[in-house]
Amino acid sequence: MSPPPNYRPIRAPAINLPHNSQAIILSPVPHAEKVPVVTPPYQFQRPVKRIHSPDDIRRFQESASFKNFLGFVVSLSESIDGHKIADPCHVSPTVATIVSILETLLRWIDEIPPVPMSSRYGNISFRSWHDRLAEKGESLVHEFLPDEFKESTIEIVPYLFDSFGNASRIDYGTGHETNFAAWLYCLAKMGIIKEEDYHAVVARVFVKYLELMRKLQMVYCLEPAGSHGVWGLDDYHFLPFIFGSSQLVDHKYMKPKFIHNDDILDNFSSEYMYLSCIGFVKKVKKGLFAEHSPLLDDISGVSNWKKVNSGLLKMYKVDVLQKVPIMQHFLFGSLIKWYDSSFVLSRFKHSNLWLYNVVCGLGFVSRD
Amino acid sequence: MSDLDRQIEQLKRCEPLSESEVKSLCLKAMEILVEESNVQRVDAPVTLCGDIHGQFYDMMELFKVGGDCPKTNYLFLGDFVDRGYYSVETFLLLLALKVRYPDRITLIRGNHESRQITQVYGFYDECLRKYGSVNVWRYCTDIFDYMSLSAVVENKIFCVHGGLSPTINTLDQIRTIDRKQEVPHDGAMCDLLWSDPEDIVEGWGLSPRGAGFLFGGSVVTTFNHTNNIDYIGRAHQLVMEGYKWMFDSQIVTVWSAPNYCYRCGNIASILELDENLNKEFRVFQAAQQDSRGPPAKKPAPDYFL
Repeated sequence: MSPPPNYRPIRAPAINLPHNSQAIILSPVPHAEKVPVVTPPYQFQRPVKRIHSPDDIRRFQESASFKNFLGFVVSLSESIDGHKIADPCHVSPTVATIVSILETLLRWIDEIPPVPMSSRYGNISFRSWHDRLAEKGESLVHEFLPDEFKESTIEIVPYLFDSFGNASRIDYGTGHETNFAAWLYCLAKMGIIKEEDYHAVVARVFVKYLELMRKLQMVYCLEPAGSHGVWGLDDYHFLPFIFGSSQLVDHKYMKPKFIHNDDILDNFSSEYMYLSCIGFVKKVKKGLFAEHSPLLDDISGVSNWKKVNSGLLKMYKVDVLQKVPIMQHFLFGSLIKWYDSSFVLSRFKHSNLWLYNVVCGLGFVSRD
Repeated sequence: MSDLDRQIEQLKRCEPLSESEVKSLCLKAMEILVEESNVQRVDAPVTLCGDIHGQFYDMMELFKVGGDCPKTNYLFLGDFVDRGYYSVETFLLLLALKVRYPDRITLIRGNHESRQITQVYGFYDECLRKYGSVNVWRYCTDIFDYMSLSAVVENKIFCVHGGLSPTINTLDQIRTIDRKQEVPHDGAMCDLLWSDPEDIVEGWGLSPRGAGFLFGGSVVTTFNHTNNIDYIGRAHQLVMEGYKWMFDSQIVTVWSAPNYCYRCGNIASILELDENLNKEFRVFQAAQQDSRGPPAKKPAPDYFL
């Protein structure tokens, strides 16, 4: 009999700050930030995990990396503001290549059918699909990397590998989705994706990614990774709700409550990501919508899409980017730096925030 | 009718208790659970139930199929909370039944009966949304620490939520664990709640869950022989057919959450053991939509105000 292998630490707890409604309501909506492009000499490196504890999360949320990455997500969201998916947009050769790579990944699903399985929900053929990604991923990325950035694959490919779910657990969640956004962010930091590309990055690349993920989820029965059950926004995704709500900001007549109208969903899902997400949930889940998706149901009562979008951005920051169980898998390298000089400055700001909260009686406790 | 009977009736209608009622119910339950052994002895006949995960109306189906408590003697193998919409109502009903009929229902701890896990998988959020504070979550998670870790039916069937541990050879070793704590990250107590049997593993393997271990058939053979038991009953893993035997009928997985997470399309089962330990599985489907009460309408979460 083999000896037992060494223990690995269990997923760490979520931050257990006292719940404070006022603090959440008053917290600022994340704002857009420009992504600074790196300059030579480049120091690409294999990215590593850095977040192990709530203290690490606090360090992360105070870092320039955190703000800039979140600012990038907000910029993507703003780029699609008021646009339908099919609206014309500038599609650079790089963006077109990324879309074709995702189409290749979609084709692999047809080439690697699920094996007939009893008992288990997740299908082990997903591992074969993932093996092929590991085998060919780097050469796919080389298709669009400019020569001066060929060396970057050591750093950026790991983000891509973690973008489509976990092969050993056969699951997928918002952490994997965040890795895909981080991969795009790395491309933006190298200037390979430019600001004028953002609209197409959402309307072409991200929409294709969503199509790929839904097919992976359905064909291989990916399990939801660490979801909050019915109390999460969705079993798998977060970003398409952000981008999708931005699309609907100031729409002439479409209101958040229209998600309950199946005719609207049927007719407009191809144009609006938010509606397609709701339609997908209704397709794959049985039972009362208010029971299996209470958050989406509650959000349908919000008065306008602007509030939905800003609320989702606040929620993404807290419920995804500041959660240890999700972010413990997040990778840091030379493009997404774990620790930088802005840290000291932000500590100073942090103490001001502490003072602000004490003055306002919000009960925020500094645990440094 | 006593307060407790009234509360049970209320919970059976899927109406949650007030915060103060939860507090006093938990205090009473604590007095009962603290007396139980880490390997609680259970007499046959008894009905084994697997994961429920807050699927209240599906648990009502379970009681329809298996009979009401106390008429039927029940052994629940943990994972009452998380993922589903009604973890609060589900757990409180089981706890109220435990207080009312302590010898007719046994609740052992699953890996989701933990402060850390419930913060990630929904029970924490549910308490916050339904009560506006986390006090009920605190009372319930405090009770989790008192729940037994395993049971043995007529000294012949060892029952546990997850599985075995490389640090445990005998039931007596389980009896020596100081269980009144949050589920640790490693060690015997963690493994009992987290481990899984796995066909392709010989001996012990690393678990993809990040806690507990995978264990193969030889581990089960040795354990059952050492402890003179017939087989192990456990839960912890979704099985599409509701139950699954492994390793030549030395271990059985029982799963009691039909159409898990509202999407998996699986059926559920319970395992009825009569006084001679004859086995009968009863399978059941998710409750029909018209038998489910509509959830209470809530204002949008704070982020959207």
